[in-house]
Amino acid sequence: MEFPLFQVPYLGNGMTIGIVAVVHVLISHGLAIGAMTMVVLSEYLGFRDRNPDWENFSRGLLLRAIIIITGVGAVTGVGIWVTTSALSPRGIGSLLRVFYWPWFMEWLVFVTELVILLVYYFTWDRWTGVQKRRHVYLGAGYLLMSLGSASLITGILGFMLTPDGWPWEQTLSSAFFNPTFLPQLLLRLAIALTLGSLFAMAYLLFSRWEPRFRREAGRLLGRICLVAVVLIPFLIWWYYAVVPSRYKTHIIYGILTSHLSQHPGVLFAAVAIALVVVLACAGLAWGRKAAAARVLVIPALVLSVVFVFAFERSREFMRGPYLIPGYLYATNVLLQEKPFLDQQGLLPNAYWFNMLGQDDPENQGAFLLAQNCSACHTIGGLNDIRTRVKNRSEDGIFVYLSHINEMVPFMPPFSGTEAERRILARFLYRLAQDRIHLSAPSRYTPLNGEVSHE
Amino acid sequence: MNRLFDLLLAKPLPEAWLQGLLFFAFTLHLLFVLITLGTAILAVFFFVDFHWGGRSRELLLDRRILRTFMAHKSLAVVLGVAPLLLMQVAFATSFFTATNLLAPYWMFFIALLIIAFLSFDILGHGIETHHRYHLAIALLALAALLLVPGILVAVLATAENSGQWLAIAKGGFRLPGPLAWHWLFRFLHILGASLVMGAVFHYFFTAKAATGRAALLPWISAGVLLQVPLGLLLYTSLLVKPDPIIQAVLVVGVVGAVLLLWVIFGAVRQGAPLTLRTVLPLVMLVLVAMLLTRQLLQNKQLLPLEKTVAANAREYGQVLEPHVAEALSAYRTALPFSYNNAETIFLQSCAFCHGKNADGRGVEAKNLLIPPENLTAIRTTRPYLYHIILSGVSGTGMGYFTIYDRYQVDDLMAYLARKYQVFARPGDIPHPIAPPALAQAEATYAKTCAACHGPDGGGSPVSRGFQPPPPDLRIYSLVPQRAFQVITQGYPGTMMPGFGEFAEEVRWGLVKTVYGKRPE
Repeated sequence: MEFPLFQVPYLGNGMTIGIVAVVHVLISHGLAIGAMTMVVLSEYLGFRDRNPDWENFSRGLLLRAIIIITGVGAVTGVGIWVTTSALSPRGIGSLLRVFYWPWFMEWLVFVTELVILLVYYFTWDRWTGVQKRRHVYLGAGYLLMSLGSASLITGILGFMLTPDGWPWEQTLSSAFFNPTFLPQLLLRLAIALTLGSLFAMAYLLFSRWEPRFRREAGRLLGRICLVAVVLIPFLIWWYYAVVPSRYKTHIIYGILTSHLSQHPGVLFAAVAIALVVVLACAGLAWGRKAAAARVLVIPALVLSVVFVFAFERSREFMRGPYLIPGYLYATNVLLQEKPFLDQQGLLPNAYWFNMLGQDDPENQGAFLLAQNCSACHTIGGLNDIRTRVKNRSEDGIFVYLSHINEMVPFMPPFSGTEAERRILARFLYRLAQDRIHLSAPSRYTPLNGEVSHE
Repeated sequence: MNRLFDLLLAKPLPEAWLQGLLFFAFTLHLLFVLITLGTAILAVFFFVDFHWGGRSRELLLDRRILRTFMAHKSLAVVLGVAPLLLMQVAFATSFFTATNLLAPYWMFFIALLIIAFLSFDILGHGIETHHRYHLAIALLALAALLLVPGILVAVLATAENSGQWLAIAKGGFRLPGPLAWHWLFRFLHILGASLVMGAVFHYFFTAKAATGRAALLPWISAGVLLQVPLGLLLYTSLLVKPDPIIQAVLVVGVVGAVLLLWVIFGAVRQGAPLTLRTVLPLVMLVLVAMLLTRQLLQNKQLLPLEKTVAANAREYGQVLEPHVAEALSAYRTALPFSYNNAETIFLQSCAFCHGKNADGRGVEAKNLLIPPENLTAIRTTRPYLYHIILSGVSGTGMGYFTIYDRYQVDDLMAYLARKYQVFARPGDIPHPIAPPALAQAEATYAKTCAACHGPDGGGSPVSRGFQPPPPDLRIYSLVPQRAFQVITQGYPGTMMPGFGEFAEEVRWGLVKTVYGKRPE
């Protein structure tokens, strides 16, 4: 309530954070951990067997990986934080306080990780001969650091899903070592190795190598990919087993959205196809069928990317109405604040809204919508609120607003008095009928310009 | 701003430690930011200079400079994590307000960084391309990169000047006059500093030959000289008056800069190269003094505000305190509650309107102009019920429930069928109807009811636009008593009027007529 609100047009706030996050996950998992594991492993093989092909392969992969890791991966990592600090300041502000020390450690680990990576890259040509062993160790050191960095972040991610005892104890250890920490960490590592081996395989199969080396390298990468993929279903099962049952029940909807929720078969078919394609690709590579694997490696990568997107999306859905379960709703309202706001009203307690002094019913409605709904919904964009309330009667919308969380358990409850629910219901009703045109729907508080009427 | 809550209040470190760490981390971050910016500017300049300016290309200075870009920018990014963390912890209210007020720019800097980083690194490490394309890509990357400090300076300047917040909010993402000037000079001052830092770095660490160093030396001296007028302009554009301590720190920085100039010109006069031993301490002195000035000014503006906010927040925390136990116990009961069975779905999603016993008397029924239907009275088909659950009934409170997947909706329908026989036939009419009454009823249907319900019960062109439209009587019925009730009293809030004026027997006849619309 102490911060103004900004709403990203068309995409919506949640999806904006989501897109940055997924790009980051693909690179941090797939390249920074996955592909870099292949780089270090290849370099080691080249060193052990005195094989220049492995060495060249390792180096080529490193160059491609490092440009994307430092240019996109690191930036989108900070980008998740940057977007949340504009769109969800209370949420990120609270996480920073709960995890202040892990976050600070993350800084040190992150810096170390990058310094090692840079040294690793820039010393490639200098540390040769007997120094090569040291160079391989350096690569291993990098992998260790990236593992540390992944663990620190997974603790925070797991906390946002299953804070377990934290809402009562409020201690760092209960927050960090939460039930989904370990399964999620292992699952993310398996995903990293899958993506990494597929990236490496794509590089191997789409650039020029001596055929014998291509088959030999494909065999190793295929084997790694196969083992990692086979682990994933077990790790998903473990991970889901510890998620509170309330939110698991909407998992099919969460992944398929309302467009496909009535065709759950699509989900199982998609998972089956993805598994078959990735396994076939890995199997063919293992069996030294480079030409056949080449046909499948890009589809396998694309399907893995879709899988990662669905996985992250479902994680967000399972979090349900909370930004931090047991503490903060997705609307940036505290759990204990809701009863207060229900009694005292959201509008009188909205600092920015009152500062701007535009308290006609349209602006009130627009603000109530922004505060209560804009974490996920937009006007006229993705998850358009107008289609959600289209054809509903005004009193019907009012009734829904009072029961939103029990009716749809992954949606946060409305915070505000009965009178405010009526204002929002009227606003939504008129909005769905196209009778309200906001001049700056991206910013309700402060509203920029006039609200024009039909 | 007058509200904050408990976690945002909790500072993990004493204020002095927090400030000290912030200063250390920010200086380290800015050092690499400046070198990154300077590297980009110099790489582009020397590229142009070598290709079109006639300088010897054997130097390869542009390529050597550009090659270091990857390291500088990576360090600038990762070293930025700590200052961002510390700023958001130390000055939560001001910083988050600023990022929010300038949200579109603030979020966009990520995209700009990606464009700049990828372009420069690909040019520096990957592809060889025609020098015209190289220049085009490099200029695009440089433009993107230089915008980033502009955005960050705007956010910092906004955070520091809470007096301007309302004006920014009302102005729609624009900085008001005085703040805009301050922003411009601060931004230019950073670019000036980046020239100095970049040129100094490459003078000592990249330029291998004397010619390379000679090419870089003018950048150092020009950069330092440029900082003098820019610094003066920046000073005059400050929106708060610096107190004596801040002035003193600033003077130290200025003296450092003068000494640096003296060293540079001395070296030029003697034709001797600069030495790291003399230049590095002076450059660092200037950097530290300037950043200390920045932080002290920032503290002067932000600390009182944060203090007030914290006091208000503590008060607010006390107001919320009585609700904590209640909120947590509600959370505890909610968590294990599973929506994996039809009864739960019904009780949570349907019952507040339709009632726990599905009799249409839910707690919210009183708030609805069109009363929720008594579900126990419905006799319909499976596809029709499915259609209503998925699409709702337009013009009423009945929404669509695609939030439940196919399995859940199937379960729910099976539950309704089991408990309330919604898929059964309507049943026998509990009243005798003589043939004349039935004939009158049929005539009435044809004359009156068919206008909306259609001759076959499937609706008419007139009623299609009704909110709500009439139900399809070919596949939807109500049990006799309820059908009789609706015919007698009408359906409140809809176009369906009551026909109580007809004789009771005729109304039962209408029920029968309506049932006749359903195929056996």
